[in-house]
Amino acid sequence: MHPAFSVLVFTVLSGAGYGLISLLVLAHLAGIPQLQDTAVLLAGGLLAFLLITGGLLSSTLHLANPKNAWRAFSRFRTSWLSREAVFAVLFYPFLLLYLFGIYRQGAELGALFKLAGILAATLALVTLFCTSMIYASLKTIRQWNSALTPLNYLALGLMSGALLLAAVQAVAQGGLAAVLQQLALGLVLLGAVAKLIYLFWIGKPAGSTIHTATGFTQASVRLLDQGHTANSFLNDEFGYRVEAERLMKLRYLMVGLAFVLPFMLLLSGQAWLAPAASVLAIAGLLTERWLFFAEARHVVRLFHGEQHT
Amino acid sequence: MKLGLVVDLDTCVGCHGCATACKQWNTSGTIGPLSDKDPYGRDPNGAWLNRIRTYEVGDTPNSKTVNMPMSCMHCDNAACVTVCPTGASYKREEDGIVLVDQDKCMGCNLCSWACPYGARELDPHQGTMKKCTLCVDRIYDERLPKGERQPACVLTCPTKSRVFGDFDDPDSEVSRLARERGGKQLMPELGYNPVNTYLPPRNKKQQAAYETSGRSVKDTVKQWVNKVIAR
Amino acid sequence: MTSQASLPVTTGLPEFENRSNQQTKYTTCYMCACRCGIKVTVEDNQVRFIQGNPNHPINKGVLCAKGNSGIMKQLSPAKLSKPLLRKPGTERGAGEFEEISWAQALDMLEQRLARIRATDPNKLAYFTGRDQMQALTGMWASQFGTLNWAAHGGFCSVNMAAGGLYTMGHAFWEFGDPDWDNTKYFMMWGVAEDHSSNPIKLGLKKLKERGAKFVAVNPVRTGYQAIADEWVAIRPGTDAIFALSMVQVLLKHRLVDEEFLIRYTNAPQLVVNTPGQKGDGLFFRGQSGQPQVWDLVKQQFVDANLPDISPALFGEFEMPDGTPVRTAMSIMLDKYMDPQYAPENAAKECGVAAEDIERIALEMAQVAFKESITLDIEWTDWAGRKQDKFIGRPVSMHAMRGISAHSNGFQTCRAIHLLQVMLGTIDCPGGHLAKPPFPKHVPPGIKPAKVSAPNTPLKSPPLGFPTCPEDLVIDADGNPLRIDKAYSWDAPISCHGLMHMVISNAVKGDPYKIDTLMLFMANMAWNSSMNTAQTIEMLCAKEADGEYKIPFIVCSDAFNSEMVAYSDLVLPDTTYLERYDTISMLDRPISEPHAACDSVRIPVIAPDRDVLSWQEVMVELAGRLGFPAFTDQAGERRYTDYKDFIVNFEKEPGIGFLAGYRGKDGDKSLRGEPNPRQWEAYEENEGFFEHHLAPNQRYMRHANRDYLELAKEAGWVGSTDQILIELYSEKLQTFRLAGQGLYDGPMPTEEHHKERLVKYFDPLPFYYMPLEEQRIDRDKYPFHAVNQRPMFMYHSWDSQNAWLRQIMSQNYLFMNRVAAEKQGIEDLSWVWVESHNGKIRVQVKLMEGSNEQTVWTWNAIAKRGGAWGLADDANEATDGFLMNHLISELLPQKGDKVDRVTNSDPVTGQAAWYDLRVSISPAAPGETGTWPSFGALKPQPNAKSSPQMLSYSSHENVNLVRPMSDILTRGEK
Ligand SMILES: Nc1nc2c(c(=O)[nH]1)N[C@H]1C(S)=C(S)[C@@H](COP(=O)(O)OP(=O)(O)OC[C@H]3O[C@@H](n4cnc5c(=O)[nH]c(N)nc54)[C@H](O)[C@@H]3O)O[C@H]1N2
Ligand SMILES: Nc1nc2c(c(=O)[nH]1)N[C@H]1C(S)=C(S)[C@@H](COP(=O)(O)OP(=O)(O)OC[C@H]3O[C@@H](n4cnc5c(=O)[nH]c(N)nc54)[C@H](O)[C@@H]3O)O[C@H]1N2
Ligand code: SF4
Ligand code: SF4
Ligand code: SF4
Ligand code: SF4
Ligand code: SF4
Ligand SMILES: [Mo]
Repeated sequence: MHPAFSVLVFTVLSGAGYGLISLLVLAHLAGIPQLQDTAVLLAGGLLAFLLITGGLLSSTLHLANPKNAWRAFSRFRTSWLSREAVFAVLFYPFLLLYLFGIYRQGAELGALFKLAGILAATLALVTLFCTSMIYASLKTIRQWNSALTPLNYLALGLMSGALLLAAVQAVAQGGLAAVLQQLALGLVLLGAVAKLIYLFWIGKPAGSTIHTATGFTQASVRLLDQGHTANSFLNDEFGYRVEAERLMKLRYLMVGLAFVLPFMLLLSGQAWLAPAASVLAIAGLLTERWLFFAEARHVVRLFHGEQHT
Repeated sequence: MKLGLVVDLDTCVGCHGCATACKQWNTSGTIGPLSDKDPYGRDPNGAWLNRIRTYEVGDTPNSKTVNMPMSCMHCDNAACVTVCPTGASYKREEDGIVLVDQDKCMGCNLCSWACPYGARELDPHQGTMKKCTLCVDRIYDERLPKGERQPACVLTCPTKSRVFGDFDDPDSEVSRLARERGGKQLMPELGYNPVNTYLPPRNKKQQAAYETSGRSVKDTVKQWVNKVIAR
Repeated sequence: MTSQASLPVTTGLPEFENRSNQQTKYTTCYMCACRCGIKVTVEDNQVRFIQGNPNHPINKGVLCAKGNSGIMKQLSPAKLSKPLLRKPGTERGAGEFEEISWAQALDMLEQRLARIRATDPNKLAYFTGRDQMQALTGMWASQFGTLNWAAHGGFCSVNMAAGGLYTMGHAFWEFGDPDWDNTKYFMMWGVAEDHSSNPIKLGLKKLKERGAKFVAVNPVRTGYQAIADEWVAIRPGTDAIFALSMVQVLLKHRLVDEEFLIRYTNAPQLVVNTPGQKGDGLFFRGQSGQPQVWDLVKQQFVDANLPDISPALFGEFEMPDGTPVRTAMSIMLDKYMDPQYAPENAAKECGVAAEDIERIALEMAQVAFKESITLDIEWTDWAGRKQDKFIGRPVSMHAMRGISAHSNGFQTCRAIHLLQVMLGTIDCPGGHLAKPPFPKHVPPGIKPAKVSAPNTPLKSPPLGFPTCPEDLVIDADGNPLRIDKAYSWDAPISCHGLMHMVISNAVKGDPYKIDTLMLFMANMAWNSSMNTAQTIEMLCAKEADGEYKIPFIVCSDAFNSEMVAYSDLVLPDTTYLERYDTISMLDRPISEPHAACDSVRIPVIAPDRDVLSWQEVMVELAGRLGFPAFTDQAGERRYTDYKDFIVNFEKEPGIGFLAGYRGKDGDKSLRGEPNPRQWEAYEENEGFFEHHLAPNQRYMRHANRDYLELAKEAGWVGSTDQILIELYSEKLQTFRLAGQGLYDGPMPTEEHHKERLVKYFDPLPFYYMPLEEQRIDRDKYPFHAVNQRPMFMYHSWDSQNAWLRQIMSQNYLFMNRVAAEKQGIEDLSWVWVESHNGKIRVQVKLMEGSNEQTVWTWNAIAKRGGAWGLADDANEATDGFLMNHLISELLPQKGDKVDRVTNSDPVTGQAAWYDLRVSISPAAPGETGTWPSFGALKPQPNAKSSPQMLSYSSHENVNLVRPMSDILTRGEK
């Protein structure tokens, strides 16, 4: 699949934003001492707001006919993208209410604001889940069509959220809270494990082949002519191909940036390294998302001569 | 009704007639225009609703060539429709035709991701999704002569390798052909239940050879006796 | 066709489009020479839709990919819009033009042509490419008085025309068709697409539905061959040995149609057998001058043309004076029983296994003799005898350029006809049917003109059918009189001229220099020349005094082709949707086997440019130059314009360009006085005319009196005599005798001419290795290289078509995967392809379905940047390639006299495009893109720039709207 930059940015930033806000609310309401700090909460909340909004705006760049973007709310009944849109919008009033509460009341929130916070956190995760389901529901791309996709999206969203939360806290308070450090380390581990399982799982060829695609199951099948010599929408969109060697390098880079380095930086416990850890992780996750697309093989490629997906 | 096409792989010569007939009709049809980017430049790239691919099955020297035209299969379980967030994509209840409302599409490409058959292409100029309409604006147009209320690709196919009809009607030509010729769905394992059906190449015709019983005039010309045949 | 022909209109569908200002008009497609009938819906002078006319005899409602893309042809940014004159002081080829008016252009041309005509008309060379108006251009040339006219046939497929016309009076190509409705066994030789594009496809479908067997003989398996029941992957250039080996199989099992041979062919005629003496190989003629046969009943020699005799098919006899004679059939038996043609030996040459040769021959024999069909239709034979049925031997064949584009194509084509005749499958039910005005007598009775004089029309057309050396167009010293050296010792029976030699000869001044080269519809600066790069140089070559070697080049083109840049005067033509035109019975009409048909073009779009159809230009110039046929006694112009000419011109009383709706009231067919409303009548009949043959006139037409009488009345044949099939060609033998020095008439003086005549003018078909292969080192150039027509492109025309070029804007060199692996050549890699004439760099694509000794590509995909409205870096220019660079118009150079001889069939002068042999080697890493590459051509003055984005529709599209309620409420589906 062709990795559209706007979609990479969208899923990574909004994922981080949703992860951040849900962990922030959780940590706040669970009474974690360092998070009973208005400045931390406001900064974290604002950061989440910016990441999510920036991500969403970026996602519309990917639309070829954005003037109809508003119509994306129409098909909540069947479309995960529609659902994502609806939840993404529903999320905002609660987030704003929650942040407004903090702005007015500080960390000690009234019930209404607390409820808003809980709903915002929940909707954040639901939206993130919907995003993941857009991909996971596609039977046409076996690398995506599994429970591992939502697991990855959620784990990585939470992981980057946790890193950001730790960074915000560490910067605001001049020292990294152990509990956030452990949360982030735990989530980095979880994310890494989820990703590695995913990579392992997509490694073995499965599903449709050029034989089932063309209906000729008894002999070899080779494409002689795809019906056009220059490009086509299908080739641009689905024909993205990277050499295996480069993919391997990028995988190492991704694991290093997204998991290993942030983990080590955070392990050091140095407050000033926490922002660096989250920046590296975001860069790593951009690579991860790029790979998520680049390594996905749409079945339509079988008609263009690929032997399996 | 379940409208769709039968495509005969035994007779398709890969001429691309159906592809350009489709482009021609539909660029001014309900889904059009079908724009073309860099039409006279490097790498021309436009929106088509029907493309012809050619495969070779088997290895040298025992192989065969198969031409495979592909357009929307008007799937029973059309995930391209369910994924569409705007409702621009829909499947008509009355006849199963899958359409895209050009006024509502936002060009997110998701439906094309959901389509296993490469049947959807984004218009490079309008930014909306284009796909085969089964020539809904021909088959139902009562101002066209009856014989012409057929998809443009079907009308034009010089080897009559495309047949249009109702798969719900067991007596229709499409149903009969699918039955008698062992019609196949492409990639059935994905469960889209495509309506368009492909007739596999027939077994090669075997022709008996003349039984010669060793009659041969190889040795001398003289053995060939003149017959009296009046001119 | 479908069971639900009328669907109930479902509510909720809008009025699809506003039809109130749409009109439907009928005309004839010209995206290729198949000439299908089209029904064009037009709105606001824009095309909404072009569809096949279901009533049309050719295409019966279907269209090909090109025909369906006519909108984009009409929209082409490459359309020429005004007459162009090369700017004084600029170089030819620089592409610097100024626009001039038609008045200026025509005056200029008139003056120049009048001067040439008044001095030496042969200084005008007028050649036309893939046109369909040779009846008019040929007539124009003979009225002008120049011998130097021909159409594209010489570089196209004259081998097929001549092979057929010198054998049976009709031919493959556009002259005949398989009987698609009845044939049970169909063999297709070397055809990728052909002119009969849609009819072949409709026919193949019929065969497949009926379960007939379809055998494809072709080194490549794509297109038609893909759906064949059997693919015979022959080695190029060897079809004759395959066919003649099958003839041997038939002979050795005595599986030939003896009745057919005796009644309809010259197989029983007696041939003089005195090798080395004058008269050898000629027929033994009686006092009447008629060839003789031995009557088995009367036991004496009798005239061969008599009815009710019983000729001996075999035998050796003595003439009264003791001269030995034998039947032509006996010679054939001798010749084809030779071990050379034994399947085991033939297999080594052609690559088809001996068992397969034997089996295919016997399969055909089975169908011809054991599965024959009879149609119980009474008919009268040539001698007036009633016959109660037509017997059909349902084996049929079709062959085209895979056969013709080789230098042994004439004899190969004759070999295939021989095979058909042995099986008795000519013009019988299920066999190979002629299309009116064919068959003609063997060969048609027109001789090429030889004498040209100032201000005088030629006495006969420039092209015709020589039957003996006396008919050659040479001077007393044996030198060619025509610029292309047609009808010279180089190519005596070159019935269509040698267009591929014109530029090369004219530039060398061999045989002489010319003044003006006038080209209509021929892209000679690119895909239709052999040796393109050198041809381009020749077009620009100058004498020492700075004058161009070809002083003036005029071209008529509708588009900015490569040729335009190399012309001095460019006359912009209309498009096919903008002009009046005829597809005439005097030319190659659109007839079907059972109907004589012709058709017209009628404008459906008004031109938006200052263009004039070439038809009009021809009639205008003919009037201005005062050609006798175009002026009355007073010298006044007889015809106001082309339409008027078509209606009123009569070739002979009652015969004109259009055969339909003749007579004052339009009620006469084929022959009748002019009808002033003829155009309207065609228009009312959807642009075509059909004269159906009565059932008793439909078969065995070479010997069918009712048909022959009709044909004579219609002017298709000169007499109602039986058209005798000439398996043994005495006409060829006269040339051979000339080569042997045994002829009372013109004889060649040069040794190589003598050799060629002796070797290749065999009166019976035979196999020989193609000439290029004979003169090169076969190990150095191990691969054959051939071309195929893509079904969706017509020569160079369609790269300007925004839709068609998306299907293909780059061609590859296709190569068998196994062969490539042996050479270490990878899929999609770049390679050097080298021939005796040069080398090119191209990209390779590997495939399974190709003969292992053959590489091939699609024809004419490459273009020059800037031409055809294409960008300078269009894929056609950077990655597409022409095979033409590798093909020389002369035979491979060896430093002998043959160096000057055309790379053509030695009999017919047919360009030998597919004789090419090449070597292939990987290009160095990093060497990509095609080579050679040519600088981009300049756009024409005021050329419209080509758009970056095209969103054509003839009206605002009517969208089908999905109601919001449905969007919000519908569940899963
Ligand atoms: N779409 C389209 N139609 C056209 C044209 C076009 O450009 N485009 N051009 C028109 C013109 S001008 C012509 S002349 C006709 C030509 O029509 P075709 O006769 O179909 O011509 P080619 O495409 O040259 O095909 C030649 C075929 O012969 C095969 N071949 C080559 N060498 C040999 C051989 O030695 N033996 C055998 N058995 N096969 C061989 C090639 O693989 C190829 O399939 O088509 C006409 N129709
Ligand atoms: N390598 C290789 N070369 C080949 C062949 C091959 O098989 N291989 N095939 C050969 C054969 S069989 C043939 S017939 C020739 C074809 O040779 P041509 O007939 O020369 O080829 P075209 O490319 O058709 O070019 C004809 C010209 O007609 C112009 N034209 C198109 N429509 C109109 C019109 O309406 N009016 C006017 N006035 N001009 C028009 C086009 O713009 C173009 O410049 O090519 C030959 N060249
Ligand atoms: S073929 Fe593709 S576009 Fe057509 S209905 Fe099926 S999934 Fe949808
Ligand atoms: S591209 Fe258009 S039709 Fe397709 S899913 Fe998006 S909005 Fe729906
Ligand atoms: S049915 Fe109509 S829209 Fe669909 S492929 Fe055929 S011509 Fe195109
Ligand atoms: S028009 Fe018919 S023969 Fe040609 S590609 Fe389409 S289906 Fe095949
Ligand atoms: S075969 Fe195609 S291009 Fe040729 S005349 Fe017919 S429709 Fe036109
Ligand atoms: Mo040709």
